[in-house]
Amino acid sequence: MKKSGNLMSSKIKISSKDVSVFYSQNKALNNITFDIDEKKVTSLIGPSGCGKSTFLRCLNRMNDTIDICKVKGKVLIDNEDIYAPNVDPVLLRARVGMVFQKPNPFPKSIFDNVAYGPSIHGLASSKDELENIVLTSLQRAGLYKEVKNRLSETGTSLSGGQQQRLCIARAIAVSPEIILMDEPCSALDPIATAIVEELIDELVKNYTIVIVTHSMQQAARVSQNTAFFHMGNLIEFGSTQKIFSTPQFKQTQDYITGKIG
Amino acid sequence: MNKNTQIIKSSLLKRKRSEKYFKYFGLTGIIAALLFLTIIITSIFTTGKKAFKQTAIKLEIFFDPKIIDPENKGTEETYKSANYKIVIKNALLNYFPSVNKRIDIRDLTNFISSSEEERLLEMILKDNTLIGTTKELWLTASSTIDVIHKNLEMLNITEKDRLIDNKEKKWFTKLLDDEKLKFQFNKTFFTSADSTEPEQAGIWGSAMGSFFTVLVTLILSFPIAVAAGVFLEELAPKNKFTDFLEVNINNLAAVPSIIFGLLGLAIFLNVMHLPRSAPIVGGLVLALMTLPTIIIATRASLKAVPPSIREAAIGLGATKLQTVTHHVLPLSFPGILTGTIIGMSQALGETAPLLMIGMVAFIVDVPGSFLDASTALPVQIYLWKSTAARGFVELAAAGVLILLTFLILMNSFAVYIRKKYEKKW
Ligand SMILES: Nc1ncnc2c1ncn2[C@@H]1O[C@H](COP(=O)(O)OP(=O)(O)O)[C@@H](O)[C@H]1O
Ligand SMILES: [Mg+2]
Repeated sequence: MKKSGNLMSSKIKISSKDVSVFYSQNKALNNITFDIDEKKVTSLIGPSGCGKSTFLRCLNRMNDTIDICKVKGKVLIDNEDIYAPNVDPVLLRARVGMVFQKPNPFPKSIFDNVAYGPSIHGLASSKDELENIVLTSLQRAGLYKEVKNRLSETGTSLSGGQQQRLCIARAIAVSPEIILMDEPCSALDPIATAIVEELIDELVKNYTIVIVTHSMQQAARVSQNTAFFHMGNLIEFGSTQKIFSTPQFKQTQDYITGKIG
Repeated sequence: MNKNTQIIKSSLLKRKRSEKYFKYFGLTGIIAALLFLTIIITSIFTTGKKAFKQTAIKLEIFFDPKIIDPENKGTEETYKSANYKIVIKNALLNYFPSVNKRIDIRDLTNFISSSEEERLLEMILKDNTLIGTTKELWLTASSTIDVIHKNLEMLNITEKDRLIDNKEKKWFTKLLDDEKLKFQFNKTFFTSADSTEPEQAGIWGSAMGSFFTVLVTLILSFPIAVAAGVFLEELAPKNKFTDFLEVNINNLAAVPSIIFGLLGLAIFLNVMHLPRSAPIVGGLVLALMTLPTIIIATRASLKAVPPSIREAAIGLGATKLQTVTHHVLPLSFPGILTGTIIGMSQALGETAPLLMIGMVAFIVDVPGSFLDASTALPVQIYLWKSTAARGFVELAAAGVLILLTFLILMNSFAVYIRKKYEKKW
């Protein structure tokens, strides 16, 4: 294990308080309460259908786009409730970027993919500045070297791993504070996965990262804290090292030893 | 082989057989459809192609100064008031000197299309030195002669069933034997509007009528339908009211087109007093008819855009409208365009609602705007088909060929757009 558990106390970035989520009548999440540290990687694990994605999507109010989805409780980012009526979800999503399970670049050029966020938010005042943002973002996403000669080719022409890094570049081009990743490597081969994991190690210096993963090894490799979900409940939360070495609950133990999954 | 393999093997035989039957069944259907299509197309083509040529008669025309300009004034007015029918008559009598009875002379002059009088005048207006000279000209024959010339076997049927009587037959045979008859390209068909004489009638008037009508339809229905489709699919809340709207739009697509015609008659003509028979009214009615088609196509192609693209844009902080206009709409555009073109070709082929609003009149002028009275291609075909004169039959078939050509062009364009853009995706 590369990272040791966090001994230093660190600042809380996101605080989930009694979050419950309903799809019509079905309760998908039940009173989830825990804190996510700033500039750390927090991984969400648990058997499929336990509500990891649902929880992740609460953090940038992506669930708003689903009509039947209702969120109860509070999610505080920097101590402000993002579900308060005066919060604009569009603004929130500029602060909280998201990378999806399946790489989903726009069917536009690589350059335009990355430039899209900054240009809709008016982050660049000139063409040069925009280009600068695009190139830095590609560099930070570790993609620049591979695509510098083909910035005008469509994003969909890249390999799966490159596409996913393009999506990461696209997300960080808006300079978010938080990056949410929903199983970002599930569609990638082991080599591409390793590259993305290295990238996460690099990104966490500047961003707070919340990652959903179905791979325990990945959670162990990349994250400092881990939350284990089971059937809509948060069973256990703590430092990754502690969760994997001395789980407190039987369900956690069963899951990480592969008895349930 | 164990028992299960045995069972599977015997059932496999049956499954394979039903698959084979199903294949043959489908194949038969396709062959039958193709067969009927071939029959229809060939029969239309064999009749229709005759309309693209017309018979001309070679005559020595003497531009007689005594008829054209007896007082030697040399003004355009005198040329215009001259009777060129006599010029033609004299040329015919010159060729058939034995004809002298009044009634026979009339029948003989009827060999030549009355449009040729106009042509002689035009020649004189262009070059008045022709007056006093003799010129060998191919004059367009009347439709009756044209029909006989195209179907020479008609000469052999009994006189009372024939289009021409025995003396006319004699004249015709003489012209034929002297090689004074030929086929020329029927330019009139492509340049003029309807006429009482088949050899002077053309498709251009109704083609322009159709063009103006479909243009109005396109200008009105495309933006409205796309806006409605985008609103319903992307922006409107999903509730009872939008469900109700959706059901009604789908129902509207199934309403018989004549109902739209009745609506147009009641509202656009009787209440709003728009001009009767005008392409603008036809366009309005067809736009109403096409709206649901384009709305449904728009919604279907919006739905077909993968949700991951929407999520990507929303996740970056794009607003709903930005997501739609920047990403979803461009991606669904080929589908929308295909639907629109199909809607337009439906509109182009539509007849019933146009009958209701009076675009079925006999109109000899080519329309120049949305407000001029006109017919449309399918209506013109209907009009010609329902006219008794023999020469109109092939015009109707030729009209069908023209209409089909436009429809095929439009539909291939739709296919082309779809093919071109789906690769990118
Ligand atoms: N859009 C949706 N509509 C209805 N139910 C949903 C929707 N998304 C997720 N659910 C339900 O919510 C529960 C949690 O799903 P999800 O958060 O996707 O689980 P995970 O990501 O952990 O596999 C599941 O029971 C799932 O069926
Ligand atoms: Mg999930």
